[in-house]
Formats: sequence, C-alpha cells, structure tokens
Amino acid sequence: MTRRRAPRAAVSGAARVIRLAGVAAAGAVIGNAAGVAAVAALRRGAAPSRRQGSLRLRRGLAALQLVARGGARYAGSAPRLFAAAGEHRQQLRSDLALQTAEDVASTLGTMKGVLMKLGQMASYIDNGLSPGVRRTLSRLQDSVPPMSADLAAQVVEAELGRPPERAFARWDPEPIAAASIGQVHRAITHDGRAVAVKVQYPGIAETIAADLGNVALLRRMLRVTAPSQDVDALLAELRERVLEELDYRREADNQRFFAAYYDGHPTITVPAIVDELSTRRVVTSELADGARFAELAGWPQDERDLAAETIYRFVFRSLYELRAFNGDPHPGNYLFHGGGRVTFLDFGLVRHFTPVELQPLAQMARYLCVERDPEAFRRNLEKAGFLRPDAPLSTEEVVEYMAVFYDTVRESRPVTMTGDYSSAVVRRFFDVRSPVTTYASIPRSYVILQRINLGLFGLLGELTATANWRAIAEEIWPFVLGPPSTPVGEAELAWRARHPAHPPLPID
Amino acid sequence: MTAESYATAAGLIERSAAAYVSGVPERPADDGFFGPASVTWKMSADLTGPIAGLRSLMMQALHPLAMAGVDQHSGWRQDPVGRLAATSAYVTTISFGERAAAEQAAARVRRIHTHVRGVDGVTGRQYEASDPALLLWVHAALVESALAARETFGTPLPAPDADRYVAEMVVAAELVGVPAGLVPSDVAGLDGYLASVRPELRCTPAASESMAYLLDPPGLEPDIAEIWQDVRYGAVVALPDWAREMYGYRAPPLTPERREEIRQVLGILDAVFLGEPGVLEARQRIAARIRVTARPA
Repeated sequence: MTRRRAPRAAVSGAARVIRLAGVAAAGAVIGNAAGVAAVAALRRGAAPSRRQGSLRLRRGLAALQLVARGGARYAGSAPRLFAAAGEHRQQLRSDLALQTAEDVASTLGTMKGVLMKLGQMASYIDNGLSPGVRRTLSRLQDSVPPMSADLAAQVVEAELGRPPERAFARWDPEPIAAASIGQVHRAITHDGRAVAVKVQYPGIAETIAADLGNVALLRRMLRVTAPSQDVDALLAELRERVLEELDYRREADNQRFFAAYYDGHPTITVPAIVDELSTRRVVTSELADGARFAELAGWPQDERDLAAETIYRFVFRSLYELRAFNGDPHPGNYLFHGGGRVTFLDFGLVRHFTPVELQPLAQMARYLCVERDPEAFRRNLEKAGFLRPDAPLSTEEVVEYMAVFYDTVRESRPVTMTGDYSSAVVRRFFDVRSPVTTYASIPRSYVILQRINLGLFGLLGELTATANWRAIAEEIWPFVLGPPSTPVGEAELAWRARHPAHPPLPID
Repeated sequence: MTAESYATAAGLIERSAAAYVSGVPERPADDGFFGPASVTWKMSADLTGPIAGLRSLMMQALHPLAMAGVDQHSGWRQDPVGRLAATSAYVTTISFGERAAAEQAAARVRRIHTHVRGVDGVTGRQYEASDPALLLWVHAALVESALAARETFGTPLPAPDADRYVAEMVVAAELVGVPAGLVPSDVAGLDGYLASVRPELRCTPAASESMAYLLDPPGLEPDIAEIWQDVRYGAVVALPDWAREMYGYRAPPLTPERREEIRQVLGILDAVFLGEPGVLEARQRIAARIRVTARPA
C-alpha cells in the first residue's frame, strides 16, 4: 500500500530543504567549481562538449555588440520604465488583500512567515525535493495575499512621514509584484526617476523575530530529517540571515555596496538606492526593465551563454573581491538586456565573509586545481571545517569524492552546464555509500553558500550555458589573476582599472 | 467485552483536508445556513480548529450513552481516520455548503442515527442516537469547545460575538434533529446547560480507550506525531478541570511561553494542511466571499 507522504514532507519540508542545502554547499564553496555538468554528460555517455572554435567566434560577435553598446547603463525614460513595470505586473489576489496589521499577523504569524522564508530556499531547487515538499512550501508562498492599497500607504506614511501620493510625484497603489515579506510598487520620484518601492508588511518583522526566537521548536522541526550536528549551525545561520533581511536598511546598504563596486561594469548593473526614500520598512531603488529569466530561455544560445557568464562573474567576483555573497540567486532576481548585460535585483540576503573565512576556500581551489597538491588541498578542507581532521580516510579517497565539485574548473576547456547539475551534486552528497560522507559537514559560515550550488548552478544549467569556466575563474582567483579570457573579460579591464583597490586575500 | 484493536491513523491530514475541500462549494447557489457575514465563518478560519476538534471529542465522549453509540456502531475502531474525516466533511458542509447540500448531509446523518440504538454496557441504560438529548450534548460540547479553544489559544471573541456564535449554531442542532427550543442560544445558556448535564457524565472504559487512542494515534508520520503531542496538550489543558479530572489527565499549567509555542505549532500544522491539494483554493473561496460581504457598499 502506498500512501502519499505529503504531510510529513510538509512539516519537515523545511528541514529537508536545509539539509539538502547544507550538504550540497561544499560543492560550490570548495570548488569555486562550475559544477558537475561534465560528470552528468559522461553519465549519459556523451563527451563533454568541445566547441572551442565556434565558441570563440560567437563570443567575438558578441564582443562587437558590447562595444557598440559600450558599458553605459541601459537608459530609459521614467515614464517608459514606469509603464513597463505595469505590464509585467504579477497577478496578485487583490480581492483577498490584507486590510489591517491584524490580517498580516494572522496570515504570516505563528511560524508561517518563518516557514515561508524557508520555502524561499526551496523555490529554486529543481531536483532532490519531492513534489510534495515543493508543493507545500510554494503553496505557502502563494497563500499570502498583497496588502490593500490603504495598508501599504499607511506603512509608507509611517516610514517616510508623508502619504505615498506626496512622497512621490506618481504612485501606483496597485503593487506590481509580491516580495519577500512585502510587496513592490512602481512610482516616479519628484526628481523624475522611475523607482521600485518595496514596502514591508506592517508588524511582520516583530512576528518573524518572535517565531525565530523559538529555537526549540525550530530545532524540532529540523531534527526529524537533519543530523543534530548540522541543525544548530543551519539554524543559527538561518536566524541571522532572516533577522537581517527584516531590516530593509541592511538591504539598502548591501545594494549600495554592490552598486558602488559594479559601477561602470560593462555587463553588470545594480540599481541605485534612493537614500532619502529608504528606511527600515521601505526601500526605494531605481526601476529597471528587461527580459525575465523565462524569456531568456527562448533566446539564442550565444545570448544565454553570455548572460550565464555575467552571472558567473558577478557571483565569483563578489565572493573573492567583495568577500560578499548575494544569497538569493532566484530566477526572479535577474533582468536580461542582451549582449550579456544583466541587472541584479534584491540584496535582501547578503553574507559578508572575513578574509579568514574565505581563505581556505581559495586555498582548496588553488591546491586541487592549480598546484595539484592533494595533501595541501586536504589540509585546507580540514582547516575550513568541511572534513574532520581525524577522518580515517586516504587523501585519494577524499580527493576522489570531492573532485566532482571541481570538474568544470579543473581543466581549461569549454564545458556545458546542464540541468542535471544541482541534482548530481546533491546526489553526491547523499552518497551514503561513500565513507567520506560520515566525516564531512558544512561549517556555519559557509551554509549560505549552498545557494551557489542549488541556485546559481541550477540557473546556469537551465540555460545549458557553455563557457571555459576555468579560464573565467582564473581571471578571478586571487592566486592566479589570469588575463581576460573572453570579450567580457576584456571589456572589464577599463572597469577594473577604476576599481583597483580590492584588499587581496592573504595567501598562506 | 474485549476491545478490538484500532486501525492506524495514517492519512489523517490528507483525508481531513480532502473532506474539508469537498465541503466548500465552488459556485454556491446560496450562502447556506450561516453565510459570509456570520461569526461561524469567521470562527472557522481560526488556527485553533484542531484543538477545538480534539477537545470537543473528549467532552462528547464523557457522556456514556453518546460514547456507547460511537463505540458500538460507527466503525470507529476499524477506520478511525475515516470516521474523523466524515465528521470533518459533515461540519464543513453544514458550515459552508449550500442549504440543499447541508440539508442533504443532515438527512443522511439522521437516517444513520435511526439505526444506532442499543444498551450501554456500563450504565445498563438504553440509548438511541436520534434522542434529542444526546444530540444536544454532542452539539453543545462542540460549540463550547470551539469557544474554549479560541479563548485559550486564539484571539478571544468579543462577548457579543460569542453569544452570536452560540445563537447561529442553533440551526446546526436543528438540522440533526434537536428542537430549536431545547438548544441554548447564548453563552450563559450554554454554560447552564453543560452544568445541568454534568451529573450524567463519566469516563467509561470505552471513553478512556478511545481518547487514549486519539491522544497518541499510532501510525502518524513521525513529525506529525510530534506536532500532535502539542495539539493533545492544548486540548487537555483547555478542558474544564472537572473533565480533566474524570479522565485522570494531568497537564502542566499553561504558561504564556507554552501558549505561544502551541500557537506556533498550530501554525505549522495549518501550513501542512494548506499544502494539501485544494485547501488553499477552498480557503480563498471563503475569504473572498467574506471580503465581498464586509466591503462597505
């Protein structure tokens, strides 16, 4: 007799998500690896793609396009952007709109807001989750109606000191999108900028903070499927990140930080924050328009490759040079403009690393992929806490087990990401037959980086993006700092000349 | 009489959810016996539903004749989950269904009740399920439990709303065959009625056994089972002292922290329920109708 397992899945769905996330983290982190696409391809009996010639040609054409457009920010008049944002309006159940703070509390209180945050972690995991888990967590997100126009206006007035109609030259009372614990309105500022205004549900910060305070219950939720040594680290990391996310000023700070760094970048755009219209519960940033991820899937492959390259550069430049990781590589957080130009949205979940935290990651990639020194690789694995120092395993076994996560950056050659990528990594970590699994774990500092595997590489896989990821990684790796390997890399030179002073990572 | 063994409680959530979804019509011809402006509809959206339900079963089971009827006739031991799901479906249909659907469901229950008669082994008294006195007890226990659960773990209803709820529910008692004149129509009347029945109540072995099963149902998924422990505590702590004493249960006093924790657990359970097919849509159908009614003209 088979019974559906939905209820169990539902409760421990979050637990499973975290577990998956946690175990899969090491892949991306350790590897700075582009994934296991090659492994997936081999498994299907296909050779990894070798299209160097045509790749160069296509990239060359794209470079012309880049030059033609220059590194200028995409420009658009405020009315056009304002109108475009309306056309992309999400379908929200305005007939169910939350009218009062009490409505918010009954919809998102009593752990539902917390579960929803956990659900967001699941929303971009394509493989490894049962349909029941995914359904429950995504249903929970669907279950939150928007705020009524009045309620949103009350929040704006409380935060900005004026009702939205006066705080802005033009204000659309109908939200254009649901956002995490809030919703987004389009507006035009008094100085004529089209902006996106994210407004937080009233009282939600207090509610979620209180629910996150119930560590015992959260732990119980997670314990069912997660081994105890992981639960506390995951929980602590989750609480810290979510609590940060509740204060939009953090998000605004992070967005300014990224925007300043990528200012003038040929393909990366981060919308500017409008300081005077941003507070704890309202954050205003430039409105951007562009193709959504789903549309990108219909673009020619060379466009998809370029977009993937930009996303890849953004993630790893941010990690190695800003020592920061934007933990929300959700398809909804990108806008695509062609020629590899991408706008990055939503900096609600950013983790900053110390040099000490980041160094072992760099060292692992360095010793495995560049120096080819397995013992040094293992030492750094242990130093970072991914592997117990007393593990009775041969270094060969360890390398054999971990190498899969570096497959796309071990050799300098074009590799195609595939949709199997995330699941292959997850499968490797769940490979209970491997003796390594017993001794491996994810230290708390690196928990957030699981999103590289489960989010970023999932996206690149969906794009079936091809690139010489190793060559791109070498440009970024602080222990190589290789020459530009692609037209985008070359186009980056001018930008890099203007942003020279990144504190280098200490090497040994 | 040797007790038959009970079937497991696997599928409790799925089947309750399916029962709920089936009871909320998609394009109703009328508002049924309560309607979107009723306190009853507002009550039904409360998180405390599972505690209200469990507490209500615990109260109902203390009437030896009501318990005997369930124990001897309902297939409760063979299919407890099915029996609970049937009750959920009935309550949902009465609350949200069109009048015709509610009347049909009630007629079916009345028909079944005519066959439920016998002798209670403990008291030696004869019973008939269609006896208005028994039906009234079952009704009153349900109504009072909904209020008590909400009072203890939810947002308490303002007194006028609580009175209105009791008054609205009179029609539910009528539907199963209790003359309206016998049914309490405000909170004071309800309390008076419960006090008057108390001398008849006791915890029979059948009640004790059934409740032991309900409080720790075998076969639940492990994480649902964990949640159930809190629901169980919530139901027991929300019982009147005398009822708790009859069962011989002890419950540590409810601290504000524990109360918040129970509310959080109820939120998780609600999220699980919401994940079942059709539940979100059914909730939205109800919420949308309440909104339309509440909107000023």
